[in-house]
Amino acid sequence: MARVVPRPEMTLAEKAYIPEILRGMRVTWSHFLKGFNEPETLPVQSYPEVQWEIDRNYRAKHRLMKRPDGEPRCVACFMCSTACPARCIHIEATESDDPRIEKKPAKFDIDLLVCVFCGLCAEACPVDAIRMDTKVIALAADTRGKFVATKEQLLDWNPADYPASDTQSQKAPGGLLNAEARARWAQGDAT
Amino acid sequence: MSNSYNKPVLPKADSKKVSIVVDGADVEVPEGTNLVEALKTIGIDTPHFCYHQDLPVAGNCRQCMVETDGPRGMGLAIACYTPVRPGMKVATDRSSEKVKTARKAVMEFLLANHPLDCPICDKAGECTLQDNYMSSGKHESRMREEIGKQYKGAPEHRHLDAKGQDRGGKHIDLGPTVILDQERCILCDRCTRFMRDVAGDEQLYIAARGDHAFITTFPGQPLQHDYDLNVTDICPVGALTGKHFRFQQRVWLLSKTETIAPDDSLGANITVEHHDGHVWRIMPRRHPDVNKSWISNATRLLYQTLSENRLTGGSFRGADVPLADAVERARELVHGARKVALVASGHLTLEDNAALLALAESLGSRAEVFGGSWLAVGAPDGIARSGDPVANRLGCTLLGISDNLSDLVRRAKEFDCLVVAGHDLWAADAERAKSLSVIPERIALSAWHDATAQASTLAVGIRAWAEVRGSMINVQGRIQRLQAAPTAPTPDLEPAWQVISRLGHLGWTSEVDAFRFAQGRIPALSGLNYRTIGSQGRILEGVAP
Repeated sequence: MARVVPRPEMTLAEKAYIPEILRGMRVTWSHFLKGFNEPETLPVQSYPEVQWEIDRNYRAKHRLMKRPDGEPRCVACFMCSTACPARCIHIEATESDDPRIEKKPAKFDIDLLVCVFCGLCAEACPVDAIRMDTKVIALAADTRGKFVATKEQLLDWNPADYPASDTQSQKAPGGLLNAEARARWAQGDAT
Repeated sequence: MSNSYNKPVLPKADSKKVSIVVDGADVEVPEGTNLVEALKTIGIDTPHFCYHQDLPVAGNCRQCMVETDGPRGMGLAIACYTPVRPGMKVATDRSSEKVKTARKAVMEFLLANHPLDCPICDKAGECTLQDNYMSSGKHESRMREEIGKQYKGAPEHRHLDAKGQDRGGKHIDLGPTVILDQERCILCDRCTRFMRDVAGDEQLYIAARGDHAFITTFPGQPLQHDYDLNVTDICPVGALTGKHFRFQQRVWLLSKTETIAPDDSLGANITVEHHDGHVWRIMPRRHPDVNKSWISNATRLLYQTLSENRLTGGSFRGADVPLADAVERARELVHGARKVALVASGHLTLEDNAALLALAESLGSRAEVFGGSWLAVGAPDGIARSGDPVANRLGCTLLGISDNLSDLVRRAKEFDCLVVAGHDLWAADAERAKSLSVIPERIALSAWHDATAQASTLAVGIRAWAEVRGSMINVQGRIQRLQAAPTAPTPDLEPAWQVISRLGHLGWTSEVDAFRFAQGRIPALSGLNYRTIGSQGRILEGVAP
């Protein structure tokens, strides 16, 4: 059953049209003049010179997490590419050189033009190897090929850009916890 | 321990029925079978690991527990080794808490030291352990995390993993084809039973005892057999994996196309598994009367040739030409020739050879059809090969194509145009094939850049066996279907029958036209169509030699 919504009754002043138009223009002009006279009070930013602080939880460009020795944490299990609704993750697996690890990615490409930034890859990852917390949201390139982020590009990030509380990032080479993690890694602990 | 005398009795279409009581309901099941098979016929799946239809029953995994009535009332028994008895009472997990608990307990023991490898395990997605956990496990973990999993296998393969845990038995190289992961093994001993009872060469065995037991080869001996990759299929977990497919693709991404093996006249039933237009592996498809559940390593690795050295266009006197031009030129050559020799091939389908016969018919007395093969015929191995590499030899014979390649060699000078369809004559016997080079115009329809394509003046690319629909008649006189996987290297490639139809202006639009022509030549095919042939094929009456 369709629900009938009665139209609000208009008063005589509203029916006359002109007074209502003038009332609307008053709002428009008041904003215009306010921006004209005191622009610093406006709730806008001069993007792109000034940018918003992006939250870590914002789903931005991906990065691949690293083990203490700099190798990717990824074990090439294809969970992310299986979960990916856009099918933009292309992985090729190979045997790892480290006898403690069985499988590693030989190729790990994310086609950022196809990616819908849904975050399902990061959610599906069983080893916390892929994250979307780089805060990189504006992507620019002059060919389609350059929008494909390779394994090397995804591994190219600096622990200094991440907070000290992000212990997993700080265990990567160059991070605050790297020396300690490296020593434990040599003994066989990679947690 | 298993022996060849305790092969399971499988239900047949004409099996006598007996009445038993399952979960309180009277049902009719085939007589003489075990409970796993009997329950399957009434739609109840019993989870199991060690039981396999084509292997002797071992009864060691204890997962298929059901309750049956005995002298002391209802009690647990393994369904795989309990034969059906008229009037017996059976309780499955649908009615019995005891059965549920027993199966759950078995799962808990099996998983106690099973590594959490699923993300990197090649079996994940088709793993019996995963399936049975979902159907009858789902227990809460009672493991103590500070102790973790224990490795109980061969001590020389023990190591600490990247998390400092006790692990071992990883990627042990068993031989040229198979890699063993002892830690994942659940000791169902299917592989040892396969090697002993099917392959007939006992190369795998279980060493040590109790929960320290592990699968291995004899010291210093590799696992090496023409059929050894079948152990990777029957392995219910990821303990045995084939080197050819290791880490290549996750199994849940693969689409399956049911077809038959083109390299042997037994026509082993296979499934071509592909993803993204690329064939990743070939798996056996069970057929009780053809290849059971087995295929040879050679058949299994055939997919590798599908992406190698393919003829994707045409080639005229050594120069590449577009496919359409090559077909056009072939048509001119065939129609301009004084006398044409058409060489049929048992490597191609019935449809392709029917097209060749129709082409000969349209050319009238100017054309002559030759057939046969120069490849050596071996002996059947009793598993999944007949030894004859010409898959559709019987089909060609039934079409009336005789084995007269030697005639062609002798009379080569009479012809001025030769059409070889899907037949690598130059590779089979270069010496004899050389005498065909006196024929000035040699046209090869080939899927590969093979010796014959190179020796021809004009080569036209066609689709390979995995990319065509059609049928072949195997050595038993069974007509079986080939299905097309969408993996042709270029979409322009056409099946051989279609190219031949273009050469002869036959106007055929689908393989059904070709099949109808073949029906006209082979009376035994009358009344059949692709649907009635079905996925299991049909025995043709009175055609087997």
